[in-house]
Amino acid sequence: MPSHTSAKKPVLSLDSLSLDTVAVILSLALALFVRFGVIKSVTW
Amino acid sequence: MSVSTALPDLRESYPPHAPHAVPEQKTSLVGLIPGILLLFVVGFAGKFVEHAINTYTKAHHITFPNIEYVLWAIVFGIVIANTVGLPKLFRPGVATYEFWLKAGIILLGARFLIGDILKLGGISLALVAVAFALSLAFMTWLGKAFGLGPKLTTLLAVGSSVCGVSAIIATEGAIDADERDTSTAIAAILALGALSLFTFPLIGHALHMSDHAYGIWAGLAVDNTAEATAAGALYSGEAGKYAVLAKTCRNALIGFVVLGYAISWARKGLASAANQAQLKNKAAFLWAKFPKFVLGFLLISFLATLGTLDPKLYPHLAGYAFLGFNKAQLAALGNLSRWAFLLTFAGVGLRTNLRDLFKQGARPFLVGALGEVAIAAITLALVLGADRIYHL
Repeated sequence: MPSHTSAKKPVLSLDSLSLDTVAVILSLALALFVRFGVIKSVTW
Repeated sequence: MSVSTALPDLRESYPPHAPHAVPEQKTSLVGLIPGILLLFVVGFAGKFVEHAINTYTKAHHITFPNIEYVLWAIVFGIVIANTVGLPKLFRPGVATYEFWLKAGIILLGARFLIGDILKLGGISLALVAVAFALSLAFMTWLGKAFGLGPKLTTLLAVGSSVCGVSAIIATEGAIDADERDTSTAIAAILALGALSLFTFPLIGHALHMSDHAYGIWAGLAVDNTAEATAAGALYSGEAGKYAVLAKTCRNALIGFVVLGYAISWARKGLASAANQAQLKNKAAFLWAKFPKFVLGFLLISFLATLGTLDPKLYPHLAGYAFLGFNKAQLAALGNLSRWAFLLTFAGVGLRTNLRDLFKQGARPFLVGALGEVAIAAITLALVLGADRIYHL
């Protein structure tokens, strides 16, 4: 069924994304936060 | 807003790598929180114990080998999973350890310059190709000698020579393997991966291997990415870094190997109609099987390299230098990677079910074990040879 006809379809669905893709998106987002100073330092 | 994921559900079956054991259920993101918190607590307990032992032995002038938090986190996880067990509430979140592994690898790209990746990645790829050809031939012969079916033999060969469970799952679809063969191959590979965590560092120390050589060996010989990363990190942080690099090279080959098997199976007339249809577009087939996190790793490494380039030497890239990271930012990304790995190592322990490891038949395990020993020996000889020539 086309997605736009499904009233119950979640607004944000991660189902169509692979684990790899989600990991890439999250990691790149973190890297951008670090690059532009949103995350200033991370201790270990 | 409703958010759902298709992460593996572990509420009914354990360990998570039994792809057909449980019908896939949706897990809400909120449902992942308890398990992720448990990963953090177990991993942090490992880090705390390492720190506490080091502080105590230093204060009392006691000579004691440094036991990395990695080992503590894995051991604590194994103890929890095999004594009190893992309550259902935690299982969906614990299954995210593979997600943290991939995020950790991508962020680890910040600790490599592209030049290092090209040099060591090139050497690793060459070693992978040689080891792959030898180990595939050996495993195929071994499977036949022990009377295993051709599909189970193929799955064991791919799992032990390419990249563990991911390769088995990718190949399963390509050769239309049955569920029992897949589960047996996965169980054998997981059992042998758990054993390698404890044997590889011992062998590396016994041979006085350098961090780089040992890391590349662990990355080439240990099957599962999580175990290869852990086996490297158990030796040293630097070895862990190189184990990830070598393992990533192996992972990058997965699409080609699966494609090769799919074509071979189709030529023998053994492929299903669906698989034959997929093979019509080989580029799409390769892309579907290619691990995308490898691209993330390379991209972060490229950005890390941009920040270190001398504009006089690379004037054509000077305009992009603002995209690169400075030293403090690279350190922050490296530490984010370490936190992601901390969750991964806790997950490796928590998903290790010792009873399940011995449930499988003796023959597949024996074939897998003999194959692993042979592959470990072949890759060790290759790495030691490469170390002499290239000074890894």
